[in-house]
Amino acid sequence: MRDDRKFVKKSLGRLGLTPHREEEIARELSEHLADHAVALEARGLDKDAAAREAQDSVSNWPELGRKILAAETEGTTMNYRTRVLWLPALFALTLSYVLLALIQIFGPQPSFYWFFTGRSLMPFVAFIVPWLLSQPVVGAIAAYWSRRAGGTVRYQILAALAPAIALLGLFLLILPFAMIVVHHVSHTMRIGSFLGLTVTWVILPALPLLLGAAPFLRTAQSRSV
Amino acid sequence: MTGIDIKIKRGSGELAILALLDREPLHGYEISKRIAQQTGGVLQFNLASLYPLLYRMENRGWVTGKWEDAPSGRKRRYYRLTPRGRKQLAQLREEWARFFQALQSVGGVAHAG
Repeated sequence: MRDDRKFVKKSLGRLGLTPHREEEIARELSEHLADHAVALEARGLDKDAAAREAQDSVSNWPELGRKILAAETEGTTMNYRTRVLWLPALFALTLSYVLLALIQIFGPQPSFYWFFTGRSLMPFVAFIVPWLLSQPVVGAIAAYWSRRAGGTVRYQILAALAPAIALLGLFLLILPFAMIVVHHVSHTMRIGSFLGLTVTWVILPALPLLLGAAPFLRTAQSRSV
Repeated sequence: MTGIDIKIKRGSGELAILALLDREPLHGYEISKRIAQQTGGVLQFNLASLYPLLYRMENRGWVTGKWEDAPSGRKRRYYRLTPRGRKQLAQLREEWARFFQALQSVGGVAHAG
């Protein structure tokens, strides 16, 4: 039993439109192929040959995908991912760190907690409570923005977590660099610092960001591209 | 008075589709079938040429698509002309008439219309 819709989706690949719209296009094109196959059957072809010939009527599916994307995005300056992920993520990142800067300038000083690694004391947590308390608002705005732009729940979560993800990426870049360059500090201490920083600046902010985003996480059903 | 728009050739498909939809709502396969039938095969649209054009027209607000039951019982996306599409159709008809008139005066090409 052939599955035209599966074939169309696989042949077109990801178009960069909303999942809802991509599904609709795959459905419509597969119905066209089915109609074409029926017409070919009426002309005497057997069922399988008709289905094959209908599917072969499009010689270049990636090119068709590009044409469809061009048609769907005509008059728009941004693609789907920019609107549903990069823009809200950039906004969340900026807002989060502007708030951090403002709180550091005008708010209470950071609280330091020390953690004994077995050999030495590590600054395990140096977080700023008021900043963490402000993060649900950042997560909520980013998730809502992404949803309004037609983003899936996955994009909404990624946009909301952008401030934490950006710092995780930064730490992951810094750790190997520190391993290579800084020779006089032991690996245990460097890994300990990395874990401490990750907990402080990635995991702890991620929780309120997600908490704020949670009420807004819903699948968007817009046709927007 | 401006000259004939250079995009007029690309407008032939648009004109055919808009004119068909002006009579009744149709789904994609039916549009391609009717165009081939009514032009004696001179104008032909396959899946790859039809849908980018249809989606562009829908994006421009000339047509609107809606899933409806076809006589076969299966759901099809039927396209309808919008008021903006009707306006566009009138404009395209006028451009094509001028185009044929120009060809006729220069090259002695007559059209059946």
